[in-house]
Amino acid sequence: MKKYSLPVAIGVLIVGFWLSPDFQQIAAGVAIFLFGMLMLEDGFKLFGGGFLESILERATSTIPRSLGFGIVTTTILQSSSLVSVITISFLSAGLISLLAGVGIIFGANIGTTTGAWLVAGFGLKVNISTYAMPMLAISIILVFQKSKYLRGVGFALAGLGFLFLGIHHMKEGFDTFKDQFDLTRFAMTGLLGLVVYTAVGMTATVVMQSSHATMVLIITALAAGQISYENALALAIGANVGTTITAIIGSLTANFQGKRLALAHLIFNLLTAGVALVFISPLREAVDWISAGVGIPDNDFALKLAVFHTIFNSLGVVLMLPALRVLIRFLERTITEPELDLSKPKYLSEAVDEFPQTIEIALRKEVKHLYDNAVELITHGLNIHRHDLFATKDIAKTIAKSRTEIEFDIDEKYEHRIKTIYAAIVEFSTRAGSKNLPQDVMDRIYVLRDVAGQVVRAVKAVKHLRRNTSIYTSRSSGASSVLYNGLRTEIGRILAEVHRLDQADPDDRSQLWLDEEAAQVETDSVNSIRVVEELIREGRLEPDAATSFLNDSGYGYSAMRNLLGAARAYYIQPDSAMAEVERILALDEDEVEEVVSDVVSAESPTS
Amino acid sequence: MGVEKYAEKLDDYFERLEDGKAKKIKPSHVLRVISKLKKKAEKLNEEIEVTEKESKKDRLKRKVLIAREHIKRAELLLDKITPAVK
Repeated sequence: MKKYSLPVAIGVLIVGFWLSPDFQQIAAGVAIFLFGMLMLEDGFKLFGGGFLESILERATSTIPRSLGFGIVTTTILQSSSLVSVITISFLSAGLISLLAGVGIIFGANIGTTTGAWLVAGFGLKVNISTYAMPMLAISIILVFQKSKYLRGVGFALAGLGFLFLGIHHMKEGFDTFKDQFDLTRFAMTGLLGLVVYTAVGMTATVVMQSSHATMVLIITALAAGQISYENALALAIGANVGTTITAIIGSLTANFQGKRLALAHLIFNLLTAGVALVFISPLREAVDWISAGVGIPDNDFALKLAVFHTIFNSLGVVLMLPALRVLIRFLERTITEPELDLSKPKYLSEAVDEFPQTIEIALRKEVKHLYDNAVELITHGLNIHRHDLFATKDIAKTIAKSRTEIEFDIDEKYEHRIKTIYAAIVEFSTRAGSKNLPQDVMDRIYVLRDVAGQVVRAVKAVKHLRRNTSIYTSRSSGASSVLYNGLRTEIGRILAEVHRLDQADPDDRSQLWLDEEAAQVETDSVNSIRVVEELIREGRLEPDAATSFLNDSGYGYSAMRNLLGAARAYYIQPDSAMAEVERILALDEDEVEEVVSDVVSAESPTS
Repeated sequence: MGVEKYAEKLDDYFERLEDGKAKKIKPSHVLRVISKLKKKAEKLNEEIEVTEKESKKDRLKRKVLIAREHIKRAELLLDKITPAVK
């Protein structure tokens, strides 16, 4: 089916062009209109560099806010499809709740009606191309500017210009087309007309992937008298159903939440269409009554269609809002959350690929997922239970007590819970690198990829440690047990400190907290060699056991350095100016030692 | 106490700022970091009060010293970036 659709579409166009040169004008109008929508989308992506996404995150805390957000963004972007794709992307990245997502979709359905008003109230009343031309001319100057914001404005302006130009060509096309062909011959009345034209509206929207373009086409054809008002109403209902295809396609690569949202969109639009079809007569009367009330002439069918479009979409929202929570429960029952598989990436999917902010946030969450898996492997690898470690007030004592070996295959766990997720992170960030994202976003993505690398290296280091640690800490082996317990304690301390940082209120925490830990690691690393040398001299440690420990402590300190490096980079301030402050204030190992020794010498009594 | 590395980092920041490669630090940014550090130092002091184990106490005291040094440097930074009142 799919492989025939392209030749069929091109064939239909060619036959159409051959039959009527004016059809070319209409088809070109649709193409220019769609091109304008793409440019508008590109413009907002560039202009925002994440602005839309950051608003989305803040503006969806309640249902009315989500609804309002859907209305406003769809009005600005003039594309409910784009808003639904963004929403799916955000939902998949775990940034917004399903409830907020459904609220946005409802709002988008109202916002999309502004397009009909734009065309019927403005596009048909004035020579819209006179606005399009200067817009396009100015936009091209802006598009060639260095600043991404100016380029963004340029693309958005060009998009709007092309939308206007597309409308103009469709209007012109229909005006001349009617002299050659009388499409009203195909007008159908009654139930059959309703069903057939609803199906036509739906198909046209599926093909063009834009209910907006279909609505413009319907309104211009209606204004030119090429379709009857009754059939136009059915076409508008069909367009509303057809528009769900974009969300359905978008959800194919999304996680279960994205799929739930696409289903919500389909249910909402099918239900609204059903209600509109059943109550078409009272709705028509309501349109006439409202139109008369606001002074729309009885024969201005284009504006009346805009009124109809607004009424039936708003009606859908009014009907569905009280049942919103029921709908959410239905969605959750129908599309169940897959069982959590720790070996698979949780947040990285193609659905979050589209927008800079979702890419970064999804990656950030995935790196945290990797870190959580790593903590499990590291603690179990050292025969410690995470919960004991994070709850205790005396880490050394708790670790000394943890003498039972935790049975598990660390190599197998490493392959499944670390390596697969790390591979997905590397692949995802490489893919992001080819997306022409803003430089600051790209920099942060590469930092996150490097954080993942450090986490993996820490786990690898602990893998090397595990065998001897288990041997020397599960039973008393004199000095070796003391040394290995000391090493376990130091690693445990770093994990606990990072955990504390993670649990702190983001407004209170600072990666500067780790400066002392980092310096302590270096001091302990040097001291451990001295301690081993002394133990050998005293005859309390065999040289074989000493070399084993020195090798293992090398791995241990490498794990600690990697864990600290990862945490410092991961918890750096999101605000780049604040991050600069932290970078300037950060103390390295020598500076920490200098601070401590200065204070100690100042406090010690002079002889 | 030597603050050479701090001065180097500061110079590096101003160079990058001039090249447009760093974001401008405002006094409010530094004040927010100082507030975080002061809160942390307070918490550490509270923890010292209730800690009995000497080795842990020493470690916490080291952390307090480091936090104080951070605060000291942050205040120097604040002076450096705050425009002088004429």
